[in-house]
Amino acid sequence: MTEKKVGFEFRERLNKIVGGNHHNYCYQCGSCVAICPAARFSDDFNPRDILLKTLLGKPEELISADSIIWKCTNCYSCYERCPQDVRPVEVIIALKNICAEDGVLPPNVDKFSDTIAKSGRSVVMTSTVNRRRAELGLPELKDPPLNELEILLE
Amino acid sequence: MAEKIRVAPFWGCMIPVKYPQMELSVRKTMAPLGVELVDLDGFSCCPDPIYFKARDKVQWLTIAARNLCIAEQAGLDVITMCSGCTSTLQEARFLLAEDENLKALVNQKLKKIGKEYKGTARVKHIVVMMRDDLGIERVKSSVVRPLTGVKVGIHYGCHLLKPSQIMHIDDADYPSLLETLVRAIGATPLTHTEKLLCCGKGCMDEDMPLQMTHEIFHSMESVGADVMGLICPTCFNSFDMGQILIARKMNREFNMPVIYFCQLLGLAQGFDPEEVGLHLHRIKIDQVMETIAASETVEIVVR
Ligand code: SF4
Ligand code: SF4
Repeated sequence: MTEKKVGFEFRERLNKIVGGNHHNYCYQCGSCVAICPAARFSDDFNPRDILLKTLLGKPEELISADSIIWKCTNCYSCYERCPQDVRPVEVIIALKNICAEDGVLPPNVDKFSDTIAKSGRSVVMTSTVNRRRAELGLPELKDPPLNELEILLE
Repeated sequence: MAEKIRVAPFWGCMIPVKYPQMELSVRKTMAPLGVELVDLDGFSCCPDPIYFKARDKVQWLTIAARNLCIAEQAGLDVITMCSGCTSTLQEARFLLAEDENLKALVNQKLKKIGKEYKGTARVKHIVVMMRDDLGIERVKSSVVRPLTGVKVGIHYGCHLLKPSQIMHIDDADYPSLLETLVRAIGATPLTHTEKLLCCGKGCMDEDMPLQMTHEIFHSMESVGADVMGLICPTCFNSFDMGQILIARKMNREFNMPVIYFCQLLGLAQGFDPEEVGLHLHRIKIDQVMETIAASETVEIVVR
């Protein structure tokens, strides 16, 4: 009968991530589903269901690199609509942080984040960028202070 | 001339690196409005509210707070040109005000680089600054060539409006900010069923984002939009490049120019399309220029 037990250990862990504690307030009304574009455009994405799995403390289906949570568009409509201040999208992002802790991030998320950590920018600078900017009469782009970023991210 | 406004532009990454034409249009159009852009040294990526935040929210907050510290030290408010930057910087401000412990944790990290986050610099998307700090009348009075007859399909994008608990700028279901601005430059804003649909960029699925952009174009086309008007470089990427992908993968051509609001404003202020970088867009705007020219001729005849 173990499957009927709520996994409080996982919920405790989620509570410690920024915004993760708001999962506790969900009363499964489904308001978030009605407004969710990812639910509208896919057969299997459902924010209420994601919240249910967190409430049951059953992360198995959620914490992986190919989990459904990565289909969330980050549109914040559920945050706007939820009557319980669950901020569902923030709970989903907290679940993604747990994926990172467990080393199961999708490779492109890791790569993209590394680019920011190492260059201070999300878009890679090439030698043509400043030339193009100069042609448009725009000032030269300088590198962000990478030493400061390195200290903050260590 | 009304009072000058001094603000620190936060350009982000997409605009200065990938779409410098948008930066050009902002620099060009702010001068006639009496806005002085004070470029500050040292900003990094906001950082990105989708992937970087997905890896570590505390790191994300810390880098955002570092950016805000730079504006605080200069004693200036920040304007953002990208909805993603707006989202990150506004949410960071909100969370650091909401949670004292989180603020202490972030400041403990910032101390290592000699910074402290206080929360004194405000953040506004440039279109919000236009409405609230400049006022619509000032925008109107900068117009020398109203875009009469140009029908603009508005795309709000998500992060300008939502969550309203944080953004505090408009009704997230029935917004009027962009309609007001489009009217101020003489063009006609069109409402359409998918006006508030997400561009899909943050979704990690192969087909869904394309389906979403397709729905938005379809909705705009069915109300007869000449151009799509928007305020975010990430949305722009979805729609400009997206049209090429839709044509290739879904065999459907919309051929609708996608224009950043400050570029539309620039045209209305009398700049040539090249002066606001419109020659760099994939979908050309010749038809739109003809409409503007035609309405100018009509006006001359009437006079
Ligand atoms: S997250 Fe909010 S809107 Fe969604 S089911 Fe739970 S309480 Fe309802
Ligand atoms: S943020 Fe994600 S879960 Fe929330 S409504 Fe948008 S797509 Fe759905």
